[in-house]
Amino acid sequence: MSERDLSLHAHLLRRAGFGARIDELEKISKKPYEQVVVDLLNPESQPDIEWDITQRYYSTGNHGWNTSWWHRMLNSERRLQEKMVIFWHYIFATGLSKDGASPSHYDQIEMFRKYGMGDLRTLLIKLSQDPAMIFWLDNNENLKDELNENYGRELLELFSMGVGNYTEGDVKGAAQAFTGWTFSTPLLEIATKDQGYSAGFVYDATQHNDGEKAFLGHNGKFNGEDIVDIIVKQPATARFIARQMYAFFVADEPAVAAWNEIPPQDPKAIEALEEAYFKSDGNITAMLRVLFNSDFFKDAKFKRVKTPLELVMGVYKLTAEHQFPSPGYPDRRAAIHQMGQGLLNPLTVEGWPRGMGWIDGGTLNNRVNSAVDMIDDANTPGVKMIVSRLSKLGKVTPEQLVDKCIEFVAPAPIRSETRKGLLQYAESGGVLDFTDPSKKKENEARVLRTVQLIVATREYQFV
Amino acid sequence: MTRPYAVLRAGYPYVKTIGARSRTIMPADVAIADDGTIYALCQGSHYGKGKSGPIYITNINDENLGSFAWRNLELPVKHCEYLWPCQIVLDSRGILYASDQAVSFLQMYTRDGHYLGRKGGEEGSEPGEFNRPSGLAVDAEDNLYVVDSLNHRIQKFDKDGRFISMFGEFGSEPGQFNMPWGIHVDSEHDEIYVADWRNDRVQVFDTNWEFQFQFGESGSGKGQFRRPTGVAVDKDGDIYVCDWGNKRVQLFDRKGKYLMQFLGDATISKLQLEQMLNRLSAKQRRIREEADLEQEKFFEGIKSVRVGKDGLMYVPDFEHYRIQIYKKESYPLTEQQILPPLKVPTLNPN
Repeated sequence: MSERDLSLHAHLLRRAGFGARIDELEKISKKPYEQVVVDLLNPESQPDIEWDITQRYYSTGNHGWNTSWWHRMLNSERRLQEKMVIFWHYIFATGLSKDGASPSHYDQIEMFRKYGMGDLRTLLIKLSQDPAMIFWLDNNENLKDELNENYGRELLELFSMGVGNYTEGDVKGAAQAFTGWTFSTPLLEIATKDQGYSAGFVYDATQHNDGEKAFLGHNGKFNGEDIVDIIVKQPATARFIARQMYAFFVADEPAVAAWNEIPPQDPKAIEALEEAYFKSDGNITAMLRVLFNSDFFKDAKFKRVKTPLELVMGVYKLTAEHQFPSPGYPDRRAAIHQMGQGLLNPLTVEGWPRGMGWIDGGTLNNRVNSAVDMIDDANTPGVKMIVSRLSKLGKVTPEQLVDKCIEFVAPAPIRSETRKGLLQYAESGGVLDFTDPSKKKENEARVLRTVQLIVATREYQFV
Repeated sequence: MTRPYAVLRAGYPYVKTIGARSRTIMPADVAIADDGTIYALCQGSHYGKGKSGPIYITNINDENLGSFAWRNLELPVKHCEYLWPCQIVLDSRGILYASDQAVSFLQMYTRDGHYLGRKGGEEGSEPGEFNRPSGLAVDAEDNLYVVDSLNHRIQKFDKDGRFISMFGEFGSEPGQFNMPWGIHVDSEHDEIYVADWRNDRVQVFDTNWEFQFQFGESGSGKGQFRRPTGVAVDKDGDIYVCDWGNKRVQLFDRKGKYLMQFLGDATISKLQLEQMLNRLSAKQRRIREEADLEQEKFFEGIKSVRVGKDGLMYVPDFEHYRIQIYKKESYPLTEQQILPPLKVPTLNPN
């Protein structure tokens, strides 16, 4: 396997998942790149997470599912399926803060997992029937004689077409069509005074406006499904989803609100994804297949800023912690929250920042400190593996220490000034002598410190 | 106590629900003293007004009798705090043992909460070492049995904590285990029951670890399990199994034949009622009024079942912060009052 192939596999696994340790990468890259893409696109062909072991320790139901979700993201062999859950959570950002209705948010995440790689029509209908979304955007208050346009508006603006591709009349038509799309009041958990049980979608015919509506040039007695049917046929929808995919998997794009004014940085890439969309009747997997096999994807290594989640998950991968359930995730949930990305807690209905929007003085500090803090133990399996591999070299020069650690930690192009800084540290300790058992602890500490320095580099902030 | 020849089972009526969010905070297990005192091992605790520790003491009248096993905020996590508490047992001397699947030791207390120290230490597989200890049981001599789940074995200690023996290895054959969880020991009847979690079965041994029989298989039908956690046996020899993944307790006769299941029948506890009357807002009461109430009665996230000497069955209802209690109504039958088991089924009862 050539170095180039290994770096391409690594790129794919970082983007279509949350990265891979060097040992995982070596194993997976025995398959051709194209076959790895096929595996990623067919999650059912990969083993599912062991639900029982996850839930034995992280518990079930309202108290444990969030942690179980983290464990699944980190360890699932269905890497792309989990990344797509995040992809849709970014676009269809729904906040737990408004309702505290944990079971409904769990149901929403499960819905993304189940339908997130299918066709867009089904996904948008499921989204429109999702109690967490209905409540988030007030569609439960969208009544026959008391229209609430919130969901109808965001369905067009944030979820499918983008600003500039519809009129206020279309918003009204969509809102009218979704009147009566609500949910059953879930039972209150006496203990917490929060929603303790799942809510279910309810179509309340008595609150549905059954009259004529006008929507995107069409007229009729539309219901919600009809609106979605019209939306998914729009070129603007194909372009919107294509650009979301490009921004998520390929390279940073400006905020969605600016898309009507700032054209895509790679129009041909967007066109290719649009074409895949229409050829497949809006199938998401078909678009992903084109994307991951494209040159524009393969050439996009380290062109994107890591999201806080990608950063933390990448370090977890590196240390190989939590492969088996163990305490500790909740701390990192708080950490990514401090970096600006609270899952289930979007900053606004538009979700979270993108690209350099993740980085400011405070968040960069948090990002670097958090990554370094997570690598504070030479006994984690991942660090031990790096030490073990280095020890096979016997005596390790400062150059070897730096270059090998870079290779194991982040096969990214390191700027010469970064390498120089790392080398300066490595040289201060001289040659590592793994043949001398009395230097075991000292060697481990130096490897650990080198790894910490690498995850603190500018380069490590990119994916 | 000698078991009857057979039993006429009149029913297992639901008795009541006890506990509430402010007290039984995610109860994983309970230990029942002979005087009816209940020690609930909880995953949660709180430190504010009306604080409550991880081991909450109560009784069937839902009285707050105190709590202990406080998290010591001055110490590292592993000292006193419970992260993934699993089981609690009480021996005849009044010593409580509690396990936590996040660490590799047990913690011990007196009944009034005096901390007696730890049993075990660093994770390991040598005798006396544990890897994720889970189920606990004591026998009539106060020997302690510890399910050493990730070592796939059971360890036995005498009442002074000295290692006596261990049994089991990883596998699915009789006498092998896959991440076992709960255990029940009845030395009077020479029986040890182990909830063999990942093998979806209960294995029964004598006290010399001679395999006797097993029952259960994977599934959600009658007599099938989705990861059984707790196992308990009553005075008649009837076996109760906490069927974790299927959210139910199943009842079997002493030979492992399926009898019935419990799905939960919760009603509002005394403490919950106080909360509802005093703390819920008018809107919250209206929301409750609008909702489907039936779902509230079911078990959720249950990990254990215990039977007291009073014949009551206790199910700590983990996700709903409460304990559901049932009482068995049964009558002993002599050999003269019931035929031996039929060799073939019959349609004619006469």
